[in-house]
Amino acid sequence: MTIIFNPTQIVIQLPETLQQTTWNKTQNAATPNSRWQTYLNQLTLDAFMSSAKEEQEATIKPWLNSQTLANIAELVNGTAIILGDAKVVLIPSEAEDIEELRLPQEWIDIPEWVADYYLAVQVNVDAGFLRIWGYTTHQQVKKNGTYDPIDRTYTLDDTDLITDLNAFWVARELCPEEETQTAVSPIPAISPTQANNLIDRLGSTEILVPRLAIPFTLWSALLQNDAWRNSLVEKRRGIERVSVLNWLQEEATNLAAQFGWRQVEFQPSIVGARGDMATAIPHKALAKQLTIGNQLYELKIFPIETHTWRFELHSLALGAMIPTGVTLRLLTEDRQSFTGNEHTAITPVEMLDLEVELDPGEGLIWEIEPSPEDYQAEILHF
Amino acid sequence: MIPRQDIVQIFATFIQFDFDRFNNWILDPRLRRSMNKCLDETTPKEVSENFWAIYWHKRWQKQPKGIARDHLLAYLQEVCFWSTKKTLTGFTSTQYSIPDGFQIAIARIDKVLKGFDGDRGFKLKSYASITFSNLIREFLRQRQEIDICSEWSLLRKLSQKRLQESLQNAGLSTEVQKKYILAWNCFKNIYVPERSASTRRLAKPSPEAWNAIADLYNQQRALQVSAPESAISPETIEKWLLICVKTSRSYLYPDVTSINKPKPGYESGEVADSLIGEVEESLLSEMIIEEEIEERNQQQTQINQILLSALQKLKPDDQKLLELYYGQKLKQEQIAKKLNTQQYNISRKLSRTRKSLLKSLSLSIKENLHISLTSDVLKNISVIIEEWLSSHYHTNQQ
Repeated sequence: MTIIFNPTQIVIQLPETLQQTTWNKTQNAATPNSRWQTYLNQLTLDAFMSSAKEEQEATIKPWLNSQTLANIAELVNGTAIILGDAKVVLIPSEAEDIEELRLPQEWIDIPEWVADYYLAVQVNVDAGFLRIWGYTTHQQVKKNGTYDPIDRTYTLDDTDLITDLNAFWVARELCPEEETQTAVSPIPAISPTQANNLIDRLGSTEILVPRLAIPFTLWSALLQNDAWRNSLVEKRRGIERVSVLNWLQEEATNLAAQFGWRQVEFQPSIVGARGDMATAIPHKALAKQLTIGNQLYELKIFPIETHTWRFELHSLALGAMIPTGVTLRLLTEDRQSFTGNEHTAITPVEMLDLEVELDPGEGLIWEIEPSPEDYQAEILHF
Repeated sequence: MIPRQDIVQIFATFIQFDFDRFNNWILDPRLRRSMNKCLDETTPKEVSENFWAIYWHKRWQKQPKGIARDHLLAYLQEVCFWSTKKTLTGFTSTQYSIPDGFQIAIARIDKVLKGFDGDRGFKLKSYASITFSNLIREFLRQRQEIDICSEWSLLRKLSQKRLQESLQNAGLSTEVQKKYILAWNCFKNIYVPERSASTRRLAKPSPEAWNAIADLYNQQRALQVSAPESAISPETIEKWLLICVKTSRSYLYPDVTSINKPKPGYESGEVADSLIGEVEESLLSEMIIEEEIEERNQQQTQINQILLSALQKLKPDDQKLLELYYGQKLKQEQIAKKLNTQQYNISRKLSRTRKSLLKSLSLSIKENLHISLTSDVLKNISVIIEEWLSSHYHTNQQ
């Protein structure tokens, strides 16, 4: 069959092997529908990245790591990359006719999600190609787009898009400073209780399209917190978390492994110095291996007294130090800071540590700067 | 085809087909009266077709549904005919006649009118020529795909806009359209391909799937309407979706016999003069002001020179490629054969060449006309290039 395309569009081949490996990666999706959506988005991301690398010189990377983007695709159509200093959202569609671009509201109205450019992508898995047939800017979407409250999308007709994709590359080259965004209002935050109730409710796959099941302000408030977003996705995939204390007990070790944590035993060093737990009994801790800037590290969590927990970050390379500038940070589950919640290496150090007092059931998010590879924001319950 | 000479004819007549051949020009009396009225307003009588094309395009921008559109429809008949003929030649696999293609292309005239930059563009005709060809090619591509799809696969390959247009085209009320579109969305959510490819022959959904689709429909519908409605059965949903399939298929296979049907009242001249509308004198006089014309001409000469010199700087191979594509209107596949390479390479090379022209012209425009570049400006420049290439190689050929 002859495939006929217009030379102003970008057509990228989708090799069968890429399709197959991408498909296999989507096995853990919550529903057949979200699997398909994740599959199309992942294909789009991979194929576009490799083709764009050939086309131009600017650096190109996914907006967030691929697991995080897959989690987003589980809930909302669309994937994003960073091209030089511009953010570009790609919206895949199976439609053969290229009459309109339907942009989920999340990509337009959640401040952190807003992009500079939006690319309309047609994916045809049978003919094995992906076609980028138009683009627009955030500003244009706000100006010319029609909001459809039924599926919460901004739609643009083909005639309102720029259908010469050469213009996209030339714009990046000749007017990288062009104004592309319109300011959007911040989304009011919700409380952790509210968030957890929503996660419980939307966590059921009986609700096929969670993004349309609650008002947009609530939905977007939930979504803009990456840890809550990940919790929701986990819940929809049928993965239950228990408290860190339970993880430290034998029976839950398998469960912990799902999230990349394993149980380790070690001789307390610092703890001993405090005198209160100065016994030679080996301690149990949860440990997670992390890669930061090609170096291996380990984050360890263990209790030192009732309700007091200790976080330690070590380098795993023999004799290596943690370089200046690395920060270990803890946040409440609604991403608030608190006193003594972070530790930054001012000079190279052996270890970054934090100690926190927590009520049973309380949740914490940990993060490290620079962010470890494949970092997933997670809420640990204690 | 007998070319139209008279300026009134050019803006007031339509092609009549005799089977798959051009037969005659049919005059629309309403358009003739409207054209004559306009001509009377200009002294000496303005007879340049480009002047009137721009005038009607400007008026169309103000009133997209007014008489201007009909004048432009008449004006673009010839160019649509030739674009169709050139684009269809060589597509042996399709059973398209020229009237088929013509009908498809002319029905999408709004895309041409919307895309043309009336302020900076050179000739509406050149732009229309290339756009009609693109539209027909895109259409053929869609048909190829849809033809090999099962009903259920086809439903997944529609855009919502296309579906809505199809339903509208079939005369369904807005309320019914809404229900069908919701049912279609529910179908797409539930009935998903279960493997990485081979999605063109999806079988009919199972009874369980139909139940799930109906459940989802009833849930979502309740959120959308204030007054409670009785639940819709899976059988009804199936019926609705089959109507969606049917209407969208027939949208792709337009009824060609309708082309020659005169529009009500047109032929007999029953339509009153009042419907012609007033001549827009302010717009006319604005366009006639010498300065404006001069400025426009100057700008066009400048752009023309920039593009000519950019073209001369291209490698001979790339120039040849442009000539084959825009001048001889060869399909990429034919060019590939001629140059002994893959179609994929041709498409890539064409794209690169256009990109380099876009870059040169954009830079010059920025420097000489002091226009700061944005995506939107680039969009217009891209259209100008497309149009210029088409017109440049067209003139060169003659």
